[in-house]
Amino acid sequence: MEDCDLTIRIGKMVLKNPVVVSSGTFGFGEEFEGFFDLNRLGALIPKGISLKPMAGNPPPRIFETEGGILNSIGLQNPGFRDFIKNKLPYYKNLKTHLIINFFGKTQKEYVELARRFDNVAGVSGLEMNISCPNVKRGGIVFGTDPQMAYRLVQAVRKATALTLMVKLSPNVTDIALMAKSVEEGGADAVSLVNTFRAMAVNVHTRKPELGNTIGGLSGPAIKPIALRMVWEVGRAVKIPIIGMGGIMSAEDAIEFILVGASAIQIGTANLINPRTGLEVLQGIQKYLAKNRIDRIQKLIGTLG
Amino acid sequence: MPLQTDGMVVKNRRVKSLHFLLGIYCPPIADQIKPGQFVMLKVSDNASPLLRRPFSVYRSYPASHPERRKRGHLLILYKKVGKGTRTMTTLGKGQKVNLIGPLGNGFALSPLPSSAHCILIGGGVGIASLYSLAEALRGRKCFVFIGGRTKDDILGVEDFRKLDTTIFTATEDGSLGFRGTVVDLFLSQAKKFKGNEKYHVYACGPVPMLRALAGTVKSKKFICQVSLEARMGCGFGACWGCVAKTKHFKLPYQRVCQEGPVFRLEDLAWE
Repeated sequence: MEDCDLTIRIGKMVLKNPVVVSSGTFGFGEEFEGFFDLNRLGALIPKGISLKPMAGNPPPRIFETEGGILNSIGLQNPGFRDFIKNKLPYYKNLKTHLIINFFGKTQKEYVELARRFDNVAGVSGLEMNISCPNVKRGGIVFGTDPQMAYRLVQAVRKATALTLMVKLSPNVTDIALMAKSVEEGGADAVSLVNTFRAMAVNVHTRKPELGNTIGGLSGPAIKPIALRMVWEVGRAVKIPIIGMGGIMSAEDAIEFILVGASAIQIGTANLINPRTGLEVLQGIQKYLAKNRIDRIQKLIGTLG
Repeated sequence: MPLQTDGMVVKNRRVKSLHFLLGIYCPPIADQIKPGQFVMLKVSDNASPLLRRPFSVYRSYPASHPERRKRGHLLILYKKVGKGTRTMTTLGKGQKVNLIGPLGNGFALSPLPSSAHCILIGGGVGIASLYSLAEALRGRKCFVFIGGRTKDDILGVEDFRKLDTTIFTATEDGSLGFRGTVVDLFLSQAKKFKGNEKYHVYACGPVPMLRALAGTVKSKKFICQVSLEARMGCGFGACWGCVAKTKHFKLPYQRVCQEGPVFRLEDLAWE
């Protein structure tokens, strides 16, 4: 089982395995320290960072629907300076890749953040969020217009030599077109999908369940749509795909790999079972051993 | 550091009307948990309900507890209100449940002299987080205010009586004790709390109750800590789903699960 080669290359990074934990569902990492050894992960992506601190959306911010979770956190974060001062030191001793999820209100802010993180020791890669559904100017305007996305990625590309992933929104008509645009703009990889814009209503109060009315839907409920989108993107681009959307188990993760994902991200499941990342990794190893597959690369995109 | 661990259901019975008491054998958490802390419970092993649910621990029996047979037990007092708690009522003796805990900061007790006077105010099932606090405050003069909509919502009176506390009850429909809210009752008794000493107030209940408390307890002689109830995503600080608004200047929204659930009343901002 230990003999299987699980390494995956994403841009300049070599991940020791394809299991990555998703931004916004893994805090800053330290919250999970007591649950399992974080060094087992292929990469860790802390909560998204903006140039200035952001207060986030008014509560209630979370609501459970059938098989899923609606959230409207609103990208609350302490901002670049505080992150560097108070959060970054924690990652110094980690033996896994640190990928920074970041976003801006304007192209200038995206470029500025990429430029700043480019000089930060310990950062392996960047995940550019152009897809948060909960903040009007939290990127989704860039994430739904292929031309704007192309120009934004091109500008950010010039500002950093780090591996650049772009996190795509599923709230578009043609996600393959979006993926192609960011590939042409110079992205090293795409990660998809972010959450689906959605809402829930309380019939007793006749009010929305979320303080922000609209939120993003995640969890097992979105997995079939996410899979379809990863499959479509896989047929459209040559850069690696990091697939996500409702992955709760190793079997879910393998489905994403089969449709074309080189690596996967665990999101919502972290909140329910904080050890999901480790359990998915062990499940993938078991699957490869059972099917006598010696390298995970041989599994990617092999949907029959 | 919180743990993720399995526990075994030792009892699950109705207390009154919609209120139930769940007993779980879980020594690692029972040994560590402090008054005001909580656990996240996975009430089913499938995706329905998907998220864990937060519960304060009504009583816990650490390894050092004199009642040998109860050592390792946690008691959770809960109200059947939605899908999660409905599923919970079906848990049977011997069944396995997964827990994460202890979570949150709990009540701050350390600088409290044994001569301190304490006032505990619980609304509905909010009383659940105050019993273990009353146990920890034993020996000090304690006044306990228990409120609810009807007499069916008044919980824990017998247990608090055993701790030699002075108990007051209020129901909104007048079916038991004072007619009105528990905060009204507290105010009607406030003249009892005259004099020079400070009173330490600990409260837990729904937001309207705590807001009313914030609006009335202005005097500096009352030092108030309140435990907030909130819908939670994870319970251990990962998702920022459970925030409450505070007077913090830069980042007003603080996590109920991490910076709370106990806050100083004066630090909270009410919308």
